Amino acid sequence: MSTGSMSDRLVEGFTGSLPSPTRGVRKLVSLVGFVAVWWLFYEFGVLNFEHFVSPVTTIVEFAGALAGQPLTEGGDTIYLHAIYSGARVAVGVVAAALLAIPLGLVVGTSDRWENLLYPALEALRPIPPIAWLPIAIIVFPALALGSVSVPLPALFVVFIGSFFPIFTNTIEGARTIETEYGQAARSLGAGSGDVFRHVVLPATLPSIITGLSLGVGLGWITVVAAELLTGGPGLGYIIIQGSRLLQNQVVVIGMLAVGALGYATSALVEALGNWLMPWSTE
Amino acid sequence: MSEPNTDTTTRSDIDEQSDEQFRSWTESSGTGTVNIQDLRKVYGDDGDELVAVDGMDLHIEAEEFVTVLGPSGCGKSTVMECIAGYLDPTEGEVLVNDEPVEGPDPSRGVVFQENRLFPWKTISENVRFGPQMRDDVDESRVASLFDQMGLEGFEDAYPNELSGGMQQRAELARLLANDPDIMLMDEPFSGLDAMTKELMQEKLLDVWEDDDRTVLFITHDVEEAILLADRVVVMTARPGQVKDVIDVDLERPRSTDMVTTDRFNELQRRASESIHDEAERAMEQAEGRA
Repeated sequence: MSTGSMSDRLVEGFTGSLPSPTRGVRKLVSLVGFVAVWWLFYEFGVLNFEHFVSPVTTIVEFAGALAGQPLTEGGDTIYLHAIYSGARVAVGVVAAALLAIPLGLVVGTSDRWENLLYPALEALRPIPPIAWLPIAIIVFPALALGSVSVPLPALFVVFIGSFFPIFTNTIEGARTIETEYGQAARSLGAGSGDVFRHVVLPATLPSIITGLSLGVGLGWITVVAAELLTGGPGLGYIIIQGSRLLQNQVVVIGMLAVGALGYATSALVEALGNWLMPWSTE
Repeated sequence: MSEPNTDTTTRSDIDEQSDEQFRSWTESSGTGTVNIQDLRKVYGDDGDELVAVDGMDLHIEAEEFVTVLGPSGCGKSTVMECIAGYLDPTEGEVLVNDEPVEGPDPSRGVVFQENRLFPWKTISENVRFGPQMRDDVDESRVASLFDQMGLEGFEDAYPNELSGGMQQRAELARLLANDPDIMLMDEPFSGLDAMTKELMQEKLLDVWEDDDRTVLFITHDVEEAILLADRVVVMTARPGQVKDVIDVDLERPRSTDMVTTDRFNELQRRASESIHDEAERAMEQAEGRA
């Protein structure tokens, strides 16, 4: 009576004699193993790692940062940096989604709009988002809401970065809807507005969620890149500032914070998808 | 407690009333004729043309059950899509109730080969879809359809949670909720296992015998074609046209045990012979294209 999956049984030959660890233990091994490799590189000076920072120092400093200590002498807390970066990602991605989803639906369902819009956008797509920064700095005026300055150039870079995955996935989703769903709806009395609302939109939703998930990931990638160049507060700024001050633990703390927040926002998008698509859960 | 008679009277009044109501839903207005005149449908443009149907004539009476039997690729589905209003004829005419077909219409319901329930809607939302488009959902009719199709308890399930047979019954319920004059069915049971298929055939016959609708049912299964139909239309290989029309004079109501009778076998042999050469031609065509 084998109850294991195919992949479990395939590796039985290697692990059959060992006690099988639980899923949680395996995940812990993954994280501990990562830190152990880092420590070994530091301790034995692989690739100049001895000039870097030990995982122990980093973990201690990270705990301090989480307790609210400023990351650099006289600087801001990690929370403030994270809030700034997070807000930029949120604003950039939401703006991108608000434009990319309707455009993608239009291009994916109409040949005429596809001809009008797709070639230009397709030509812009391969440009790395950060390459837009010089133009963005020139064309966007300095903007402030009360006492808070709004970094339009950085927001624009995030916007561009997350726009294309959402756009292309929405197009792909709308294009690949089985025509018979639309035919069935029309034979049941649906007009074109009904077909859009009851067929095109829900049928494209899984692809839109995939696009959003990729878009949020690219949002974090681009916000860090933009902050490296435009300054802070922000997690990207903290990474470059730590490097300038030769405080490598600050660099790593910035990196880990981006990783953790990226992971968390992906989970958030996934939860949004499950909530919007109760039919797709097994 | 002192008036048991009153209760009884009231009860039977309700029953009578709902019976009458049910009849008024299901009684056809007598419409539902289909007239196909010299239909020609060509796909593609110059140089790469495919003539799917050429010179097809067919008249279907109101409330008639017609099955269309033909080899694969003979244009059966093309004919159906012209009646449904998804395709425009290249030449010739498709008339429904003597009017040319202009686009899809809820009076012409369609069941596809693959289940096309909306996966993102519950069974109940699917069944209500047609009436909802007209803002005219009749709750008691919906409830009686759930009962008739054996779908009670699955109102809030999504289609992917149902078996293949149940999905087909739900799709039939969705169609009937709209009360179409004409039902266009394109090999609806071909994906089902033999047992389920037989049950679905019986279910469809029940529905049709109760409701007097016109049915055009496409299949490549000879036995199915004869069991269901008043007339079996045999089509030629591509370009498709009517090769043969077989009147099925078996008594109604039909049941699946009839397939063993002599008359059934005779009809089946006739249909099989008629389609045999066409199937061979279709196969040669397919090999030629491959």
